[in-house]
Amino acid sequence: MEPILKIEDLHKSFGRLEVLKGIDLTVNKGETIVLIGSSGSGKSTLLRCVNFLELPSQGCIYLKGILQGTEKSMKSGKTNRVYHESQLCKVRTQVGMVFQHFNLFPHMKVLENVMEGPKTVLRISQKEAEQRALQYLEKVGLADKSQSYPARLSGGQQQRVAIARALAMEPDIMLFDEATSALDPELVGEVLLAIKELRDEGMTMIIVTHEIGFAYSVADKILFLHHGKIHEAGTPDEVLVRPKEQRTKEFLAGHNQFQIPQHSE
Amino acid sequence: MSYEWDFAVVFQNYDLLLLGLINTLNVTGVSLLFGIPLGLFVALLRLADSKWVSRSAGIFIEFFRSTPPLVQLFWIFFVLPILFDIAIDPYSASIIAFSIQSSAFFAEVFRAGLISIDRGQWEAGYAIGMTRKQVLRRVTLPQAVKRMIPAFLERIIELMKTTTLVSAISYSDLLFQANDIAQQTYRPLEVFSVVAAMYFFVLWPTSVAARGLERRLAVSGESTAA
Amino acid sequence: MYNWDFGIVFSNWNVLGIGLLNTIKLAALCLVTGLSLGLLVGIARYSKRKIFNWPASIFVEVFRNTPVLVQIMWFFFALPILLQTQINAFSAAFLGLTMNTIAFSSEIFRGGIQSIAPGQWEAGKALGMTYVQQMQRVILPQAISRMIPAFTNRGVELVKMTTLASVIAFGELLHQAKTISTIYFNPIETYTVVALIFFVLIYPGTLLVRKLEKRADQ
Repeated sequence: MEPILKIEDLHKSFGRLEVLKGIDLTVNKGETIVLIGSSGSGKSTLLRCVNFLELPSQGCIYLKGILQGTEKSMKSGKTNRVYHESQLCKVRTQVGMVFQHFNLFPHMKVLENVMEGPKTVLRISQKEAEQRALQYLEKVGLADKSQSYPARLSGGQQQRVAIARALAMEPDIMLFDEATSALDPELVGEVLLAIKELRDEGMTMIIVTHEIGFAYSVADKILFLHHGKIHEAGTPDEVLVRPKEQRTKEFLAGHNQFQIPQHSE
Repeated sequence: MSYEWDFAVVFQNYDLLLLGLINTLNVTGVSLLFGIPLGLFVALLRLADSKWVSRSAGIFIEFFRSTPPLVQLFWIFFVLPILFDIAIDPYSASIIAFSIQSSAFFAEVFRAGLISIDRGQWEAGYAIGMTRKQVLRRVTLPQAVKRMIPAFLERIIELMKTTTLVSAISYSDLLFQANDIAQQTYRPLEVFSVVAAMYFFVLWPTSVAARGLERRLAVSGESTAA
Repeated sequence: MYNWDFGIVFSNWNVLGIGLLNTIKLAALCLVTGLSLGLLVGIARYSKRKIFNWPASIFVEVFRNTPVLVQIMWFFFALPILLQTQINAFSAAFLGLTMNTIAFSSEIFRGGIQSIAPGQWEAGKALGMTYVQQMQRVILPQAISRMIPAFTNRGVELVKMTTLASVIAFGELLHQAKTISTIYFNPIETYTVVALIFFVLIYPGTLLVRKLEKRADQ
């Protein structure tokens, strides 16, 4: 079966700083991939390249088998990929993203936030959009808040609305960019629970997180990024419990709140 | 030697003053009608990715902010007709001058408003597949406009004050009418005092409203997420 | 196609030169007087005592909410009648522009003073300073550096406003240009040159405001 996402030799530079130095990654349907690594390792940039909030400097991204962007020959004789707005918009309807700082639209009610994509981008009718929005708000347990403005909600509730907003596009894959980092500790759980439920329903996901315990319990595959490369990859047990690489061990030692489940052996 | 005030001459000419006031409001209103959309357009050019486009918009803004409005008005009234061999009446010259001039200032207001919106708002829009235009129209501009309202009102007050310059090219705005009446009645003290009061009672409430709004927006803290 | 001829404008450089000097003189005088008196009015507005606060507030509201050209015309045509004396064009323009500058700069002073944390006043008080000492030694030195962009902006606005003096025939730059263009029928060249002179005069100020504001933001 065709993988949902395939990345080949992805590079990304900001000016002279190369943040991603050749990433290869395949994500199959229903898989949950968790990216870990210290800040500056490139994990957020990698995630942001998948929905083209950052345009790759080099490399290929296939979404459901379709190579994104168009090839263009440069004056220097090299070829480069260019991305047109219309293509990008189409891709992004198939890739949902949840941000660290929620980024809800503060001037719209919760319901309107979730309806916005289906209505404005997918152009489904007002009524259908409303139904769909309610359905996804229900899913994250916030249907009763549909008429509130985001500012009235707790951080955890806001992030769940943001999840509903992304789900309402009915994407093929969901991206979570440190979705709990901006939350107070007591609000982290409800968001992690919502993500876990999605996994159980078979949603394909890439998750960037600092919550190692959560990563362990939710991931099919863990990737440890270091200096813009995938340094170590494998199952949660392989990477988190029996890491081979020195860097990975050091990184995990810095996250001592993670307790390896005793029964994992 | 105390001066004998006589406001009767002013009130006898109330119709001329009223006409002047209407003309003042007319020039102000119509210039806004053109100046605000033009200002938004220039602001978007200023924020464009292309350096060349952005810089041209910058030059436009700087030029009209850095020359006196009266010089601009004279240039359009005296120079444009000869250059293009067309007739421009004082009213049209005023509208052209103030639309362009205010657009340079409005462009700055729009730009400041738009860049004050968190980048995450743009990204959230893009992430659900919106185009740049859709994000602007549905997400960032509506939020920016709310923050810009006090600055807008302030610009409108400045514009209305600036419209007195049209009297220098003989368009019969409130000040021109005042001058006219003062010369005919030899009562400049009464006439100019009344006219100053008329301006004050139009402009002052606007300024109070602008400050009130500003305070309210400051208190509400413009709570965005996070 | 219009035949541009800048020769006449340049041969009248001395007429424009006088105008430029008058423009600079008027702007500089108004700026210095306006800022100094603006400080007093600003402090009066900041004061909690009604006897200072009210007159200052009325002054500021009146001069901010009437057009400066109306103010100049009032000083030129109306004030002489009230005072039973002659007032020449320069004095009228000076009065109008200065009052206007006082009104706007007093608001800048007030805003600047308000922006200083209350702890600074208290620290001064704790050292046994008087109100005047606190203001002079602690508050103003901090406030003024924050106000510099706004003052520079006032300077820019003031130079632009000096052109209004041409309406009452004071011989500043724009008025001199008007004279040349009436004599030689060459408004195109004259007004274009004058627009450029003003731009060269004002643009550095605009740039400076930008730079100062950017620095203040950091």
